[in-house]
Amino acid sequence: MKIESGNVTRKVFALACISLSAALAQTPTSQVVAAAQKFLSTLDTKQQQSVLFAFNDDKQRVRWSNFPIAMVPRGGISLKEMNSVQRSATLDLLASVLSARGFEKVQQIMEGDEVNKTTDTGPRRPGNGGPPPSGPGGPRPPFRDGPMFGRDLYYISFLGTPSEKDPWMLQFGGHHLALNVTIAGERGVLTPTLTGAQPALYTKDGKTVRPLGQESDKAVSLLNALDDRQRKHAILSYHLADLVLGPGQDGKTIQPEGLKASEMNERQRSILLDVISEWTGIIHESAAAAKMAEIKADLSDTWFAWSGPTSVRPGQNITAYYRIQGPHLVIEYAPQTLGGDPSLHVHTMYRDPTNDYGRKFAAK
Amino acid sequence: MRTKLAAGLLLILGVPAFAHRLDEYLQATIITLEKNQVELFMRLVPGVAVAASVVGNIDKNGDGAISGLEQRAYAEQVLRDLSITIDGIRLNPQMTSVTFPTVDAINQGLGEIQFELSAPLPPAATAKRTLAVENHHQNGISAYLVNCLVPRDGDLRVTAQNRNQNQSGYRLDYIQSSALSRAPRAGLFSGTQRSWDMAVLIALLGFAILCGKQFVDALG
Repeated sequence: MKIESGNVTRKVFALACISLSAALAQTPTSQVVAAAQKFLSTLDTKQQQSVLFAFNDDKQRVRWSNFPIAMVPRGGISLKEMNSVQRSATLDLLASVLSARGFEKVQQIMEGDEVNKTTDTGPRRPGNGGPPPSGPGGPRPPFRDGPMFGRDLYYISFLGTPSEKDPWMLQFGGHHLALNVTIAGERGVLTPTLTGAQPALYTKDGKTVRPLGQESDKAVSLLNALDDRQRKHAILSYHLADLVLGPGQDGKTIQPEGLKASEMNERQRSILLDVISEWTGIIHESAAAAKMAEIKADLSDTWFAWSGPTSVRPGQNITAYYRIQGPHLVIEYAPQTLGGDPSLHVHTMYRDPTNDYGRKFAAK
Repeated sequence: MRTKLAAGLLLILGVPAFAHRLDEYLQATIITLEKNQVELFMRLVPGVAVAASVVGNIDKNGDGAISGLEQRAYAEQVLRDLSITIDGIRLNPQMTSVTFPTVDAINQGLGEIQFELSAPLPPAATAKRTLAVENHHQNGISAYLVNCLVPRDGDLRVTAQNRNQNQSGYRLDYIQSSALSRAPRAGLFSGTQRSWDMAVLIALLGFAILCGKQFVDALG
């Protein structure tokens, strides 16, 4: 049968238009939901039961930490327990909910833990591990003598069922990583989220990797952009040994300190926003833009405080603590003084005390 | 010294620095300020390298468990090492909640001891108030954090926070607006206002005497 070429062209064009319009009709939430459903469809019944929690399960909601999973066990299932299809679907889901840079950052943090694994030659801990921050009742550590580190020791879990309308939550985390993403309709909330790195500088395929390097470099740029009077306000006179609002410290608004952004010039405020974007920009672009708009509106009431050394070796991370705090934002960057160079071990926290876990949007 | 200790411990364990504070006793305090009372929430987390000495100080009979009696004794010890003053007056805080992890969890560096305490505040004599907290508990091995929550009561406004370098000493200056409006305007007997009031009184008295004298002269 002869096929008229013009007809084919028209049909191909029509199909392309349909595909294009379907793609255009896909919102970020619908893409995330589709990726989540695809992931869930790869699991067997038992795995699905392990990974799905009720949306109002507050014990699971707060079951995250900076500690390795052997020390503070997480809920859900780990990459280690998945086959290659399931792993691939997990990464696709993460790629849909995060920005390209956010996804890269997460992978670099996990890869850093793989570096830990290759240098981990010591004995296992003697005990079974302590309770999760929420107290007893959480899952016990899955392996007493198992590995402490590695890129496959990261857990995924859901609170509620992925939906374009009803609120639900995706958790992904392990050592130095706790992503808590609440999706409520077209809104996406990333707080509270913990990122960390150890080693915070390593080499992979001949390239130097600093998972949280931009957080360090941009903050130094901001500090260096301040004049002497501003630095006097921004630099605190006391030592900050750790995160103030780390795991378990939900819903707290501490008295802000340091230099207020209303005392900064336009260039300095622009650098401040750039520092903030390292956290707000972890989530996909649409949700990040909405959060950034809120932060810009609050910017005059946003504070920048620094504690510790003000200089940094080229290509290295800072060894100082800093905090950025606004009406809807708390960011902390806290190097850990642990048996060596604090620039190689960093914890950071990103919160919105008024909307952690998307409670504002998720309330039914 | 501590860094060397931690590094030594890491060598002994033969593992990378997997977790976190090893050779310090983290004591993080969050202060909740209200008009009539102050509350402190303290989290005490001994690192692995100092856990044994901290446990030894709590589990006095060394049976590997922390009894109610041992919990109370340790809470009292922490209270004794704590000084809280308001406008220079020492407060007498009471423990309202005490939570202890297991000895095992402490020994692994995962145990978090939690204390909640509160103290009533005497009425404000002036609008400007100062709360001071000093924590000397285990100061040889401790890393301190002290912060105040933004007061929920709009009547209270924090004006300054000052700390010493290691945060074992903390001073919070704040304004209690209602005290300002309640304070007797005729601050007759207080400070600078008293001087002005006395001056006005003397002037009025002098004026009255002068008037009286002129009146008597006029009669004469």
